[in-house]
Amino acid sequence: MYRTNVSRVCVCSKPLVRLLFLYAVVAPISAGAQALPPATQWLPADALITLELSSPAPLLELLTGQPMTDAVTALPLYKEQASNPEFVEFVNIVKYLEMTLDTDWRTGLRKLTGGGITLAIYPEDTVVLIVDVEDELMLLRLHETLLMFASSEAKKDGRSDPVVARPHPDVTVWTFDGQEAHTIIGKRFILSNRLEGLNAVLEHRAANGGATLASNARFQAARRAAPKDAIATFLVNLKPLMKLPDLAQVLDGSRENPLAALAFSGLFEAVRDADWLSAGLSVEQNTLTLRASVDGVAVDPASSVGFSRPKAAGGGAFPNLPVPRRIAALSFYRDLHQFYAAKDELFPERTSGLIFFENMMGIFFSGRDLTNEVLAEAQPEIRFVAAAQKFDPDKGTPRVKLPAFAMVLRLREAERFREVVEEAWQKLVGLVNFTRGQQALQGLTIDRFFQGQTKFTMAYFSTSEIEDKTALEMRFNLRPALAMPGEYVIISSTDDLARDLIDVLDREGQRPVKPLAKTDSLVEIEGRQLATILQANRETLIAGDMVEKGNTREQSEAEIGMLLTLVEFVDNVKLSLGSRGSLSQALLSLKLRLP
Amino acid sequence: MRQSDSPVVEKALDPQWAWAAYDPDEQRPWNLARAGHLYRRAAFGAIWRQLQQALDDGPQRTVDKLLRPQADVGAFNELHDEQETASGGSIDGLRAWWLRRMIQTPHPLLEKMTLFWHSHFAVNGAEVKETRLMRTHVQLLRAHALESFRTLLDGVSRDPAMLIWLGGDANRKARPNDCLVRPLMDAFTVGPDRYTQEDVREAARAFTGWFVLRGGLRYIPREHDAGVKCILGQRGNFASQDVIRILLEQRATAETVVRKLYRGLISESQEPAGELIAPLVESFAKNYDISSVVETMLRSNLFFSPIAYRQRVKSPVEYALGIVRALGGMVSTTQLAQDLAQLGQILYAPPTVKGWSGGRHWINSVTLIRRHNLAFDLLRGDGPYADKLNPLRAAADHGHSEPASVAQFVLELFLQGDLESEESDTLRPTTLAADSSGGLDVAVRRFAHAVITLPEFHLA
Repeated sequence: MYRTNVSRVCVCSKPLVRLLFLYAVVAPISAGAQALPPATQWLPADALITLELSSPAPLLELLTGQPMTDAVTALPLYKEQASNPEFVEFVNIVKYLEMTLDTDWRTGLRKLTGGGITLAIYPEDTVVLIVDVEDELMLLRLHETLLMFASSEAKKDGRSDPVVARPHPDVTVWTFDGQEAHTIIGKRFILSNRLEGLNAVLEHRAANGGATLASNARFQAARRAAPKDAIATFLVNLKPLMKLPDLAQVLDGSRENPLAALAFSGLFEAVRDADWLSAGLSVEQNTLTLRASVDGVAVDPASSVGFSRPKAAGGGAFPNLPVPRRIAALSFYRDLHQFYAAKDELFPERTSGLIFFENMMGIFFSGRDLTNEVLAEAQPEIRFVAAAQKFDPDKGTPRVKLPAFAMVLRLREAERFREVVEEAWQKLVGLVNFTRGQQALQGLTIDRFFQGQTKFTMAYFSTSEIEDKTALEMRFNLRPALAMPGEYVIISSTDDLARDLIDVLDREGQRPVKPLAKTDSLVEIEGRQLATILQANRETLIAGDMVEKGNTREQSEAEIGMLLTLVEFVDNVKLSLGSRGSLSQALLSLKLRLP
Repeated sequence: MRQSDSPVVEKALDPQWAWAAYDPDEQRPWNLARAGHLYRRAAFGAIWRQLQQALDDGPQRTVDKLLRPQADVGAFNELHDEQETASGGSIDGLRAWWLRRMIQTPHPLLEKMTLFWHSHFAVNGAEVKETRLMRTHVQLLRAHALESFRTLLDGVSRDPAMLIWLGGDANRKARPNDCLVRPLMDAFTVGPDRYTQEDVREAARAFTGWFVLRGGLRYIPREHDAGVKCILGQRGNFASQDVIRILLEQRATAETVVRKLYRGLISESQEPAGELIAPLVESFAKNYDISSVVETMLRSNLFFSPIAYRQRVKSPVEYALGIVRALGGMVSTTQLAQDLAQLGQILYAPPTVKGWSGGRHWINSVTLIRRHNLAFDLLRGDGPYADKLNPLRAAADHGHSEPASVAQFVLELFLQGDLESEESDTLRPTTLAADSSGGLDVAVRRFAHAVITLPEFHLA
């Protein structure tokens, strides 16, 4: 009731009077304010997604600290935008707020979020945000300033005042646009995109609203699974979300698409059976790490979907291969024989397509049974690499520069099976040449070289008859190669990458690496190399963006410039998937590149 | 302008009057409707400023500008060629870039004629497979679209894309290939029933020696049949260029092309009488100057008469670009190319060697609904085309902010006042004022959608 009166005065009076009045009434309230319970005790239990940022300081330090500020302000894009009128206006608003709140923006942000942030998403698109501040007075002054802004902007445009204050039993609820609703209770700011959302919070605060999120067993279990050192936790109630048709369709994709099933093995099954997903974010220097887990049923390694689960203790995917100019690398533990042997069970609706595939493979592998006589020859160890290419001007440079990519497999009995692979490869090159020859088009020329002790086969499109070698067609990105050093099979899009891989595998042979225990998939992306290849194809990206979005060239240049800038900030991204006991886990780390 | 309420219809049967330059008078004033008509046929529609400028310039000066724009068209096309090439090597990219070129070009008549020849000399990229060859093919059409039909025909008959598409990429002496010659006679020049099977066989012998190898045209002299041939009554040791010469000597070739231009620029609702088009055929047969016959048609009394007015069904490209051009915007042409395919027009892939049938074939119960859906997507302010087109913003740019004034602007921009009485009851400017749900922006989008889905807007 007391606050209702305050709000009525605030909305109607002049700004200075309002501020003075606020100071007068807030000081005693703050002094007498009691500690508030955790935000989750005020939130209804049926949240679909909850984000709790308990200690924003480390994240703020990383995102708004001096190194990041220096990096951003040094960017050409920032310098271009610095004279943009909209940006200037934004800076002026920030300066005005700094002056009004008698602070600098970094300190202000820290004080206004220091107690933690909690975001909850409910059915029917209801969102609730709770922010606990360190400085209650600053919050009230900021709120007052924003109310003034909204009122004066509306007045300037000839609109009626959009700010409305509604009395609630013991608090005041404001709205800026008639839809969102917010209130301030002590050091806590509560906002919802719908009045019903805020009312529900106020009901729970008064202990009249039923079960709270904090008391929900599923929420508690998910929270326990989050890492202890996490500064933020992200919790998802999966059961209701599984009923969403779009999500169900994505998860069912693995039953229809063998490649998706192979790549995301175990992940879809784990999510499909899980009650919750829990993720915790931690920050260490320039690295953000997100550890996520779901409580689905653990996949039995012997089951039809167990082809990605190591059979022996200590088994798992191998570390990625460190080739020069690497853009991305993937490493999987996948038992191809087990996978394909279960195909009828896994993909009952794809039988005819798979029979066609098998027939084709029968041609390449001279009638060998694909499951038992081909795939069974491969160890459950598959590694992929993508790397930027270096083009020799004498041989020619394609207009669109694609990365080279390669797959590395390990054979169980290399001596016996090597010739079979070589024969299949040469048949494939022959088929390509025959098909292109039917269209009177140039074919690939096959050649063989040595890299160290390894003899390898490569094929290339000759450029000797092309005068202008500076903007070749896309196909000149390809110089497919097959190499089989030791037990390994390298199938590469270029001979250069094949050579690099032969060297890397040779070094790996001298200093054997161990598999990553309990990890079945590992993906790494190098930001700097990715930025390099994007930069090399900048014109193509801009041209594509222009027709894709209907942009002007200037707009597309700005968008692609922004993309390149963001990528350049990334040093390395690493994602690993695996399992720990009954939990399926994912670990995503993002290392930023700051000065 | 109604066909029934004008005595001009009868006069139009007189060739001398029909092809004389249109000179506005009280009965046939130069107005917004006729300016809009000119921009629909000679371009892909117009923005409001162009329509107003046309009213100030008068019909002949406006035609001058459409035929010979002052802008540096060469530089524009060179830049677009570079960007088209830079976008990679896909046929989808070519489609998107051609649509963008149609929207932005300072010489829309050139693009309109390039599209016209793309249907006349139809080549389907799905069969050709090589994007580079399709890009070169359309560049060839563009280079000669308003120049000499003789040069264009000669270029097309040696175009690797055309030869691959027709299966005429290997012409051996031992087995002459008539895959190119048959459509050359039947669809591109003299037309059906004006040649014999013997003419086809003999002309195929004249084309022996030509091959498409590794994506390039090659002539192998030893594979050429150097014997005497008899083609359309002429005898000699003919080569391929002689076949082109003989075909161009036939009056029927000029008549075929003029009739097709008549369908494209004047009317597709009725075939013109032979005597009506005779002056154009005679003139065209002398020099095969495309620009000259197009100019005569666009300046003519007939063009600005009810015989021509809204007597063509817009193709999907014309329908969509008519909306985009009028609102002066630019949309995702990648998305637009996909949507146009749903309406039956896939650029770089005409369905048969005779191109798109056009006319009433564009409209059926399915394509009509898809046209309405496309119009909705273009104007709805989000979705695949985002907020690139905004009729309220276009109206505001010309000083219209009150609902009734905005509605009047939208009606004149898209229909230039052509509205049947019963429709005008439901689409009065006051309708917009009454529709206040969702704000004026949404109401104007709804109103504009209602306007561009009227039958009148589907007609060019």
